[in-house]
Amino acid sequence: MRRAPNVVASLAVAAALLAAACKPEQGASANASVTSASSGGMDYHITPTASNGVRPGIHPSVVFGEIRNPYAGNAAAATEGRQLFVQYNCSGCHGGRAGGAMGPSLRDSLWIYGNSDPQLFGTIVEGRSAGMPAWGGRIPPDQIWKLITYIRTLGTPAEPDAPPPESDVPIPK
Amino acid sequence: MHTHGKRHRSWIAISVMIASMFACRGQDAPMAMGATGKAPPAGSGAEAPGAPAPGSWPLPGRNAQGWRYSPLAQITADNVRNLEVAWTFSTGTARGFEGQPLVVDSTMYVVSPYPNHVFALDLTKVGGPVKWHYLPATAPASQGEACCDVVNRGASYADGKVVFNRLDDHTVALDAKTGKVVWDTKLDSIEEGATMTMAPLIADNEVLVGNSGAELGVHGWAAALDLGSGKVLWRAYSTGPDSEVKIGPDFKPYYPQYKGKDLGVSTWPPDQWKLGGGTVWGWMTYDPELDMIYYGTANPGVWNPDMRPGDNLWSAGLFARDPKTGNARWAYQFTPHDSWDYDGVNENIPVDLTIGGQQRKVVVHFDRNGFAYTIDRLTGQVLVAQPYQSLNWATGVNPQTGKPDRVPSKETHQGVNTTDICPSSTGARDQQPAAFSPRTSLFYTPSTDLCMDYKGLKASYIAGTPYVGADVRMYAGPGGWNGRGQMIAWDATTGKKVWTITERFPVWSGPVVTGSDVLFYGTMDGWFKAVNARTGQELWKFKVGSGIVGNPMTYLGPDGKQYVAVYSGIGGWAGAIALGLSADDPTAALGATGAMPDLPKYTAPGGMLYVFELP
Ligand code: HEC
Repeated sequence: MRRAPNVVASLAVAAALLAAACKPEQGASANASVTSASSGGMDYHITPTASNGVRPGIHPSVVFGEIRNPYAGNAAAATEGRQLFVQYNCSGCHGGRAGGAMGPSLRDSLWIYGNSDPQLFGTIVEGRSAGMPAWGGRIPPDQIWKLITYIRTLGTPAEPDAPPPESDVPIPK
Repeated sequence: MHTHGKRHRSWIAISVMIASMFACRGQDAPMAMGATGKAPPAGSGAEAPGAPAPGSWPLPGRNAQGWRYSPLAQITADNVRNLEVAWTFSTGTARGFEGQPLVVDSTMYVVSPYPNHVFALDLTKVGGPVKWHYLPATAPASQGEACCDVVNRGASYADGKVVFNRLDDHTVALDAKTGKVVWDTKLDSIEEGATMTMAPLIADNEVLVGNSGAELGVHGWAAALDLGSGKVLWRAYSTGPDSEVKIGPDFKPYYPQYKGKDLGVSTWPPDQWKLGGGTVWGWMTYDPELDMIYYGTANPGVWNPDMRPGDNLWSAGLFARDPKTGNARWAYQFTPHDSWDYDGVNENIPVDLTIGGQQRKVVVHFDRNGFAYTIDRLTGQVLVAQPYQSLNWATGVNPQTGKPDRVPSKETHQGVNTTDICPSSTGARDQQPAAFSPRTSLFYTPSTDLCMDYKGLKASYIAGTPYVGADVRMYAGPGGWNGRGQMIAWDATTGKKVWTITERFPVWSGPVVTGSDVLFYGTMDGWFKAVNARTGQELWKFKVGSGIVGNPMTYLGPDGKQYVAVYSGIGGWAGAIALGLSADDPTAALGATGAMPDLPKYTAPGGMLYVFELP
């Protein structure tokens, strides 16, 4: 409960910052969906997804409405996302192919903060308490969506620059 | 595990009796050093100068020299097979336990990985109940800044204070009786990527500490704090101008390549030394006889070596310093222009050895790079340097020049995948410390046999994020998948192995050796073992709940009985895969996952203290 106002405020501020920092030609559609979600500063849309309007956990969609990845399924964006994943040192914390290290694996089925589009976007923009940096002031939304596009390919045949093969480790008798 | 009520009652009676006996004897008074104050010759079985009371374990390596030797001899090669669990204690923290408990005055002190719980356990009572518990306000975000699991390597005790480091860069002294904070000094910042994981060493009323984070472009340092007040007495950086490194007129290195002004700047591209790593996260040691401290420095900042041409002083090396001023007395670099992440942080153990018929004052150091060095601890001259593990990046170390003879095909470069380099970045040894027995005159070192492919990548510096620039994949070394680890008995006078025990996984646990020549260590798949220190013959083993990456210790209980204690809690760098990483990415955990894909078949996270006794 205590968390919700923080989330709202910081996501709104971060999104506004991003919108201001972004060059107009960059990912216009991505910007559009974010800015509209936060237009009017603290004014936000309530789009209840459960009958009582609240959901357990971190759900930017509850306050901003659904935001969608404009690059969903786009192979070129995934390849670019892979490069960004190395460039922004995500790979240093999450492992060379996102299998985990200082930060959790992004390849496995477990998501601490959820893996819907708004949740992933919120995690990357705001940061998370156990040491995930807040990238909102640093990475433009367009690139964040490309990172998310890459994250979604992990462990699938569409994964660019897939990990080298696992070693064949003999199990002793 | 025994649960017989009857025996417990008699145990209480005995323990009360003996506790009162010990109270009069002043258990913590340092043992007499002998009239001359000189270190006894090795092999005599005598303890080092300034040794603590025989039944206690006040410092990480028991004595300030870090021998990890205890003269206790109730548990012998003959009776160790009867060892059983006396009691256990769950810390509630299921991450890598790389340290060891302390025992002073019938109290055991336990420090956990993040969030760095500290427990004082009452050894005068059955089952070691909690006397006090301290939970610091360690910043949660520090977890994302710790390169190799959120480990803590333990505390140090002196003068009624228990001193430990928080992951978020505080050194804290607690009142050993009450657990109340005596002082709390913040020394670095997680925003810059710095953390603190090492165990402080208390020597002569000073608390010696250092930072971690050479994978995040941190500027490495060591510092001395006043034990009474926590005030910083001096701080010496590992890279940069002489004024920051504390190199002055007292500095008399043995080899010419260390002579010259501001080498910590000129052996780097402009300003790169500021991100130059060389952090101080290993075990420090102190020689009270020469009044010198010794510690190693970590890898140079950014793993991609093409981004930092030069020797990159004083990374991947060793400093001997005056503890009072912090001024450097000499230095030595194990791996100039490190291109593989061969930190030089491993401990430097002061001993007196007979080499070539001469009595020499030396430190012995088992390096990540695979060589074991015996170095004159007055001058910094290398006397012996021999491989203790499979390696192929160099053909040897030239004692005349002090430099390794490097193999060009194993140098790593940006954009080039150099294959089959041994040892891997995790090293022939990582943090796990060695032990020395004054009875056998042998060193006992844990070791890792892994190799790797390493490709340098251009890295950009973003404060508080990894500054690595390398795509690394590790796999089993020449010992094969069933021999990725070893426990080695080493003769440091000749640089030769005396015996070797092979383990399936890297041995990430530093042993303790006793006055009855029994050696204890643990394995990553969770076996706690006792072996004969003279022969390496296995005497006993016990399966604990989670893999062992910590260091066993032994102490005398208030009942006059010898106990052996060890942490069970898989983690650390090589053990990270058991904490939920994805095995289908062999480049995860900076490449360590590729070498350990089968570990989760043997162990899962835990965080438990085990204490063993003879029935
Ligand atoms: C300094 C280390 C660090 C860096 C750099 C970093 N992360 Fe993280 N990340 C973490 C940690 C630690 C967590 C877990 C946070 C928590 O549990 O509160 C995390 C969590 C996440 C999560 C949520 C995972 C889940 O299970 O919900 C995502 C997604 C993520 N990071 C993506 C990224 C991306 C994309 C980048 C690069 C732009 C990045 N991270 C860079 C440390 C880092």
